[in-house]
Amino acid sequence: MIARLFEAVLGIWLMVAPAVLGYGSVAATSDRIAGPLIASVAIVAAWEIARPLRHLNLLLGLWLLAAPVVLGFGGAAAVDSVLVGIAVAALSRWRGRVESRFGGGWSVLWPPSWARGEEQRELFAAEGRDDGRRQG
Amino acid sequence: MPGPREQNYLTPPGWSANPSSWGQRLPIVALALVGVAVAGYLSLFQFGVIATVWEPFFGDGSRKILTSSVSRILPIPDAALGGLGYLADAVTGVIGGRARWRAMPWIVVLFGLAVGPLGAVSILLVMLQPVLFGEFCTLCLVSALISVLMIGPALDELLAALQHLKRVRVNGGSVWRAFWGRGK
Repeated sequence: MIARLFEAVLGIWLMVAPAVLGYGSVAATSDRIAGPLIASVAIVAAWEIARPLRHLNLLLGLWLLAAPVVLGFGGAAAVDSVLVGIAVAALSRWRGRVESRFGGGWSVLWPPSWARGEEQRELFAAEGRDDGRRQG
Repeated sequence: MPGPREQNYLTPPGWSANPSSWGQRLPIVALALVGVAVAGYLSLFQFGVIATVWEPFFGDGSRKILTSSVSRILPIPDAALGGLGYLADAVTGVIGGRARWRAMPWIVVLFGLAVGPLGAVSILLVMLQPVLFGEFCTLCLVSALISVLMIGPALDELLAALQHLKRVRVNGGSVWRAFWGRGK
């Protein structure tokens, strides 16, 4: 949760960084696209149900790391891109607490995992059994 | 197939909470209504009903963004479309009872379809503002934040409904009938 907050702040920083550090053109465009994406992924992944989405921020962090070389820019923009990229990629590895249970999560919708897991079959057979019941 | 007792439970099998409880849904509906207000205000400007738009940070940014070529790409202005999207979120968020993840999967799926794409379009518009026009628009950013905030909490209900349909299928029932909330 805290990691997602830091990621969101870094994403928003990327949106204002071109104005604050005074760089434009291709470096600014990279940050103005990566920034909102990183912040949005972080906000959505803050919810336990969507926590696996954090891995998208690993990809976006790696992009920031590569951007100065790929797009060919230097100076403050490159330093910022690399530092933020390392931070976002590292933060995305930090899962944070997941305390709620979601009936096996998204993977049970997937046929291969269905074939794999005895417990998931148990879970599905649990329909109508007592453990799921509440007052009506 | 699920027995009649199944009618009585609210928490999905293997879940720690009921994703269709009012405690989980009402905050999303409230957020959607704030979205309706913000997008409605912005579309009043786009329709020419009000002459100026509130912009505390970015000078002429809001006016430039709201009158940009992208904002007129569709027959109706983009803020009006956003307002309709938030309205769809609020309506599909409030319909149905606490068991709607299994009693009305269709409305939960509709809710997911309303929340997901609206969020995606909002993120896209946030990227376009500075990239194409070099400007930001405060209330447009607020609106985007609202639509992104709604995605996470909407997902759990969607997952519960999809797991329910999968369960019906695995147990040999009709997914079509279950989708519309009809039993056997």
